Amino acid sequence: MSVHPSSLPANAKVAKKADLKVVADQDADASSRAAADLSKIAPELSGMIRVLTCGSVDDGKSTLIGRLLWDATDLYDDQRETLARGKKVDGGNPDFSLLMDGLVAEREQGITIDIAWRYFDTAHRRFVVIDSPGHEQYTRNMASGASHADVAILLIDARHGIKKQTRRHAAILDLVGVKRVILVVNKMDLVDWSESTFRQIEADFETFSWRFGFWEATAIPTAAVSGDNVARRSEHMPWYTGPTLLQHLEELPSRGTEPKGPFRFPVQTVLRDSRNDFRGLAGTVSAGSVRVGETVTDALSKRSAKILRIATMDGDLDQASQGQAVAIQLDTDIDVARGAVLSKADARPVVARVVETRMVWLSETPYDPRGSYLLRTATDLTPVSNLKIRALLNLETLEEHPSEVCATNDIAIGDIALGRAAAVDTFSDAPETGSFMLVDAITGASIAGGIITAAKAEAAEADENTFLLTRAMLERGLNADLGDRPETEAEFRRRANEVALILRQAGINVEIESPPDYSI
Amino acid sequence: MTQSISHLDLLEAESIHIFREAAAQFRKPVLLYSIGKDSTVLLHLARKAFWPGKLPFPLLHIDTGWKFRDMIAFRDKTARDFELDLIVHTNEDGAAKGINPIDYAPSVYTDVMKTVPLKQALDKYGYDAAFGGARRDEEASRAKERVFSFRAEGHRWDPRRQRPEMWRLLNGRLGAGETVRVFPLSNWTERDVWRYILREKLDVVPLYFAKERPTIVRNGQLLMRDDDRLPVRAGEEVVNRRVRFRTLGCYPLTAAVESDADTIETVVAETLGARTSERQGRLIDHDQAGAMEKKKQEGYF
Ligand SMILES: Nc1nc2c(ncn2[C@@H]2O[C@H](COP(=O)(O)OP(=O)(O)O)[C@@H](O)[C@H]2O)c(=O)[nH]1
Repeated sequence: MSVHPSSLPANAKVAKKADLKVVADQDADASSRAAADLSKIAPELSGMIRVLTCGSVDDGKSTLIGRLLWDATDLYDDQRETLARGKKVDGGNPDFSLLMDGLVAEREQGITIDIAWRYFDTAHRRFVVIDSPGHEQYTRNMASGASHADVAILLIDARHGIKKQTRRHAAILDLVGVKRVILVVNKMDLVDWSESTFRQIEADFETFSWRFGFWEATAIPTAAVSGDNVARRSEHMPWYTGPTLLQHLEELPSRGTEPKGPFRFPVQTVLRDSRNDFRGLAGTVSAGSVRVGETVTDALSKRSAKILRIATMDGDLDQASQGQAVAIQLDTDIDVARGAVLSKADARPVVARVVETRMVWLSETPYDPRGSYLLRTATDLTPVSNLKIRALLNLETLEEHPSEVCATNDIAIGDIALGRAAAVDTFSDAPETGSFMLVDAITGASIAGGIITAAKAEAAEADENTFLLTRAMLERGLNADLGDRPETEAEFRRRANEVALILRQAGINVEIESPPDYSI
Repeated sequence: MTQSISHLDLLEAESIHIFREAAAQFRKPVLLYSIGKDSTVLLHLARKAFWPGKLPFPLLHIDTGWKFRDMIAFRDKTARDFELDLIVHTNEDGAAKGINPIDYAPSVYTDVMKTVPLKQALDKYGYDAAFGGARRDEEASRAKERVFSFRAEGHRWDPRRQRPEMWRLLNGRLGAGETVRVFPLSNWTERDVWRYILREKLDVVPLYFAKERPTIVRNGQLLMRDDDRLPVRAGEEVVNRRVRFRTLGCYPLTAAVESDADTIETVVAETLGARTSERQGRLIDHDQAGAMEKKKQEGYF
């Protein structure tokens, strides 16, 4: 390889660094500063919050978020430049909504269909902005976006006040468990910064929001285009003494620091290390916390054991809390497999055969009473033996209308009978073990997402068409290769599920016999 | 009492959760390893997810034959150090035909030497799930990507067939002919990746650090001449410059930046201070608007 040592000055041809398009935009003394105090340069942010934005088209959502990014955060230079060079909107401000562009197909249609995720940092926090479409025909998109959020911004146009749409949005937020909402009353400039207009809207908001399970509902008057009360206090609205949107978002509790509820540990998989005779249950604590030495129970088998170790690659822990991903080693082997939910003995999940639910119908295929469905709960997958739609929820009035059908974007109220018992909670007790996806067994599609409002241990009344698929039947042939070992229980169950699904397609309701130790 | 949990801890736990869900739900997963910083973090998180057990899946590297030599050395060392099952796959047919990044348009080259062999390898070994290091913050069309991203037969990505994801639930039930890409770093940003490398003291390819390297200037960008397959054109001159790389790929397509940052600390400081989004350093993305989305539809990662 021939390389000319730099006989000419390295930059003889490239007159100045600035002539190159790609140059690191470095501070001359960045290096020395870094060495001096890295923790200041690369701080770990002390928290994270996920913010859902929803509103009707043209209320100013893209402008609001763009403005927030522009004023408060770590936008990249090339993004700033694109904006500065682009077309201007009224008042000579850049078009901040350009920061929120999306898929080509959507750009062409001029609407946001899908959920988009954006990330930005202020000095203290990671903000995750989840942008979802507001229109009625996208209820399902909004619901799935909202299920990831810690707080939701409901955006409205001050000229129009609270609309039916706002009520619908609030109902969806409540359904999927969002506990904090912010009503952003935008375009205050177009109502002459009127306090009385804002107060009226604020009062309307209070009257309708009390019906929901929100812990906190705050109204903030803004003008997104000029940035009033977004990140900067408005000079036009001295009568407003509350926080700016940014202040409020920075003061809300960070993700993972909210009240925790009873300990839940849905087992994801079993980890083994033959060298050290380690057998650990891998999972994420989905609620509450647990310590080494405490006794935990598998609700399905009703067997208990003591926690010997809480292991991670970074060393063992004394305690694990909600949100932590760990491996739990028990002092006795109680044959726990994927799908089990560990809890403490005095606050166990329900070993359910039937669950009452509310669900958002996500699929474009309407509900089919003869369809083959599976229920995905935290880490379990259970064949559905019967799904019965009872009513649809009107999101604007919150009334239930009896119905036996349901289709895309509907909020359905229905009972799900399970082919075998699953450990679940009601959503209000423990959201992560109280939510589910309804899965089409054939295509795999996510048909509906929902919450459990009640869980019953008794099986639905078996009709004469119900077939009991016993373990003996499976052991004889299909599962003969598996033997009767705890490690193969997950595979045993998977095959049983598939048999149940096939029989169900032939019109036979199937109940799968529980494992021998299970005393349900 | 509210105790605060750092955002990196939250991200790490989420990624571990995703790894375990995918490993439990899919029959035969594989980790797509591309040697760069994102892959480094991805691999580290995978090791954490299954520790003290071994990784329950192999690593797959699609080698175009044009990666920096330092990358290949790093790849092989990593596989040895962590006792990983590494599979390297190249489109031999494309290589035999001499498809290279210098004489062919980036779109042709990428298709023949990256997209096609990726599909070949996935089909050959029958993987139903492939972990990748893509992040939603990389590019606008990625902002809507799912954690489990489904591919129809022929590995096509169809935006309308993506499944809604709710709460922490991940539905990995495959339909006929479907496979899935799994993105455990979905919610990470470029800065997080660096912050995490620093925090966890991870080794990265030396190319990320500034060093005197033989470079030429082409189309206003600095290219490293990693070997003499890169022809020096009239008016160009190979000059040793102190450069480093913000992203790594095929060397004739990867622009260097002049820099003095030669330690992980200074690189992170420079990156966290740098205000140009990283894809500007990747020449292949300048092709056309919506380029990435097109490539995805064709099956490029
Ligand atoms: N006067 C005024 N116009 C605004 C304000 N916020 C947004 N707009 C304008 O309202 C229109 C719709 O805004 P956009 O952000 O695209 O709305 P989106 O459809 O909700 O995302 C644009 O013309 C904006 O410039 C505001 O506070 N005051």
